Amino acid sequence: MTLREKAKLMSETDMERAIRRMAHEIVEMNKGLEKVVLVGIQRRGVFLAQRIRDVLRQFEQIKVPTGELDITLYRDDLTLLHDHPVVHSTSMPLDITGKHVVLVDDVIYTGRTIRAALDALMDLGRPDIVQLAVLVDRGHRELPIAPNFVGKNVPTSREEVVEVRVKEIDGINEVVICERQEG
Amino acid sequence: MDWKHRHVLDLKDWKREDILFLLDQAKNMDELIDRPIKKVPALRGKLVVNLFFEASTRTRVSFELAEKLLSADVVNWSASGSSVSKGETLRDTAWTLEAMGADAVVVRHGASGSAHYLARKLRRAVVFNGGDGAYSHPTQALLDAYTAWKHFSNLEGRKMAILGDVLHSRVARSDIQVFKTLGCEVVLSGPETLMPFDVDSLGVRYEPDPVKAVKNADIVYLLRIQRERQEEGLFPSLDEYHLRFGADEKLVSMASKSALVMHPGPINRRVEIDSSVADGAQSRILQQVRSGVAVRMALLYLCLGGVMA
Amino acid sequence: MMLFKNAKLFDGRSFFDGTCDLLVREGQIEALGRDLSAVDAENFDLSGKVLSPGFVDLHCHMRDPGFEWREDIETAAAAAAAGGFSTAVAMPNTDPATDNDALVRYVIEKGKRAGFARILSAGAVTKNREGKELAEMGKMAAAGCVLFTDDGAPVGSSRLFRTALQYSRALGIRIMEHPEETSLSRGGQVNEGRCSSIAGLKGIPASAEEIGVFRAVSLCRETGVPVHVTHLSTRNSVSLVREAKKEGLPVTCDVTPHHLRFSEQSVIDSGFDSRFKVNPPLRSEEDLESLWEALADGTIDAIATDHAPWHLDEKDLPFQEAPFGIASIECAFPGVFTSWLNRGKPFGLERLLALFTSGPSSVLPHEWSSLGKLTVKGKAELVVLDLDLDRKVTVEEWKSKARLSPWEGLSLSGWPVMTLVEGRVVFDRLRG
Repeated sequence: MTLREKAKLMSETDMERAIRRMAHEIVEMNKGLEKVVLVGIQRRGVFLAQRIRDVLRQFEQIKVPTGELDITLYRDDLTLLHDHPVVHSTSMPLDITGKHVVLVDDVIYTGRTIRAALDALMDLGRPDIVQLAVLVDRGHRELPIAPNFVGKNVPTSREEVVEVRVKEIDGINEVVICERQEG
Repeated sequence: MDWKHRHVLDLKDWKREDILFLLDQAKNMDELIDRPIKKVPALRGKLVVNLFFEASTRTRVSFELAEKLLSADVVNWSASGSSVSKGETLRDTAWTLEAMGADAVVVRHGASGSAHYLARKLRRAVVFNGGDGAYSHPTQALLDAYTAWKHFSNLEGRKMAILGDVLHSRVARSDIQVFKTLGCEVVLSGPETLMPFDVDSLGVRYEPDPVKAVKNADIVYLLRIQRERQEEGLFPSLDEYHLRFGADEKLVSMASKSALVMHPGPINRRVEIDSSVADGAQSRILQQVRSGVAVRMALLYLCLGGVMA
Repeated sequence: MMLFKNAKLFDGRSFFDGTCDLLVREGQIEALGRDLSAVDAENFDLSGKVLSPGFVDLHCHMRDPGFEWREDIETAAAAAAAGGFSTAVAMPNTDPATDNDALVRYVIEKGKRAGFARILSAGAVTKNREGKELAEMGKMAAAGCVLFTDDGAPVGSSRLFRTALQYSRALGIRIMEHPEETSLSRGGQVNEGRCSSIAGLKGIPASAEEIGVFRAVSLCRETGVPVHVTHLSTRNSVSLVREAKKEGLPVTCDVTPHHLRFSEQSVIDSGFDSRFKVNPPLRSEEDLESLWEALADGTIDAIATDHAPWHLDEKDLPFQEAPFGIASIECAFPGVFTSWLNRGKPFGLERLLALFTSGPSSVLPHEWSSLGKLTVKGKAELVVLDLDLDRKVTVEEWKSKARLSPWEGLSLSGWPVMTLVEGRVVFDRLRG
């Protein structure tokens, strides 16, 4: 089974603008950054979280603590994956108890990844508030989970796949929509 | 990464990439051990049976911890006082466990080849070799590799000296497999009567002089000397063994300055190793124990996690 | 009456030119020649097939009396017949051991009643095979025993072995020695060498066998009494026999089919499957090669199966716990024939067939030495071989009770399709 690229949803510039806007929304909703901790979900969420942190440093002159969260060991739908899921690192710069954790992920789809992330977070500590920032919301939720901050809403069909590409992993910053094809 | 190993019986067919991938996963498991809540749900609902025919607290507890950290259900079955002592065969015991729903069996048995035998007999459950006879102890070798790798990052071209009763040691045979695959030169030393007959077939060298064997070694690996071997007449006394081959500070100083001292445990102080060395700065014996849990978690996860029966 | 036509006829030593006919009548070979015909004879067209003297197995463990759940004389005899053997010699490591004339008679009688291959009996050299006192060899000889052996074990003491040789000289019955220096082999599981080193299993060094062979040769030299050493497995063992023969000593020897096909590597490759556990153990590749060289140059007199059946529950255990022994009599000839083919036929087919016929029969007492040969007016002990027939070994279908064998599943050619004992058909795959 292969993926055929259908269209480009966001260019590098579009991504930058969306991230900048979300960063400002985070400040607004949390009435400042005092208790905010950004937690990027492995793998691409980690780099998006770093970009939000960089924007916040630029505009608010505050370095928001940023952590990485691997949710592989908390997934409930491992059997649906083709390759064996690789476990990546989890590291928090500080104790998240009492904080406002902003989870950052590239795409929200069924919501199961976020559910697993919530379980993982609860095992790491007791945050006061957990919010969710995603670059793309592609619909088709299977659980009652809604992001607080969204870069772009993209209606999709189940045969389509939304790929967020980041320079650090994919060599380029863009968001594309692909189609599954046999063969 | 496509994980191809269904059972973990020995490391004969493991390629370098397989080992390095496993070590990398173990590193990410390691962090879990320090969490306030030491549990992740990855193996929730899986039943793992620890089938130990030989007494072993160390390995069994390590496996048990790894299983529990991953939320698996654990059952310990030890041989003495069980149906085995009433004459039930290994095969029947295994089928019984499988009928009870075991998803995995960790087996330790005194007969070389028993883990392979079990894997042939079980239809569904995954087999982890916790040590069979003198043939293989793959999880020990992997945790040894993990310990060394955490320290050195790259093991290519490094030298490892294994001292002691290699003839009867499954740990030695497995370590040889792993460390050679990772690119190490492995040298054996000890009395010739405690060496395998055809050392060449293992791809290693025998050096009767321990000083020469240890010279410039990055890893000095010591094997436990068992009293039974002395009683079999393979060497005259423990004292003489200690004199000729015991790892004291002098011998260890012949190794490279940054060398690690390792031992699978439990140690015989003043036989194969002196206390000053066992408790010294170069010793990694306790780290090996911790590594054991992380490595076993990684193996359990990779072979059992996320795979529908 | 049976008339076999157009066969490639082997008489125990050599082939007849072209094809040949053979007429069997009242248990005897009535005539040999071309264009034979006979009224009232059942005709068999053996075009493309080989007709040979029935095979003779010098070394077969029938487990009866005492261990009948593993095999008994009936199943062993049926299995032997299916393997193309018209004669098989029962080993005496039974329970009680066949160390007296009554048991020798029992074995022979039971074999007769079974009505398949002819069963001859070996007798123990020492009482209960304990290696302490001589068994009643004279009485056993009178009862019809054809070999003396303590097989399963060497003769316990060299002194007793020497005495036994001298005592048995007059009886004209050979001692078949299982060559093994037990203090070296004790506790051993596999070949001492590559296999023991990799597997972490205790090794049985080659010297354990070689010292045994040396002892036998030395005593043969000193007493002048013929001696037979069985299931040789190492290069130096065959060297010793080769040198002894050059010296003119009456030493004979045999090798097994499994030692000609499998090496210690098979133990490793199979993941320590107990099917490959046998004594003497499967040896190195070099040893295996030396056995084939010895077959070619005449050092080896016979191939003997050392058929060692075990009950499935006894043999299906982890390697270290399982007993020693490989069952093979039903596929022994195809096993060796196929290896011979795969090696590019290193010596003539006649030599190969002799190893199953005149070779082994020459080790038996004088009155049985005609067994491996075809002569007019001689007993009709025959086997029809289809050398082109290719079949997989299916242990499940064996007449032997053994169900675990390293030969399982192998594709072999050269199968026996009919076996006759005294003119009676005891195995038949020919008549549809």
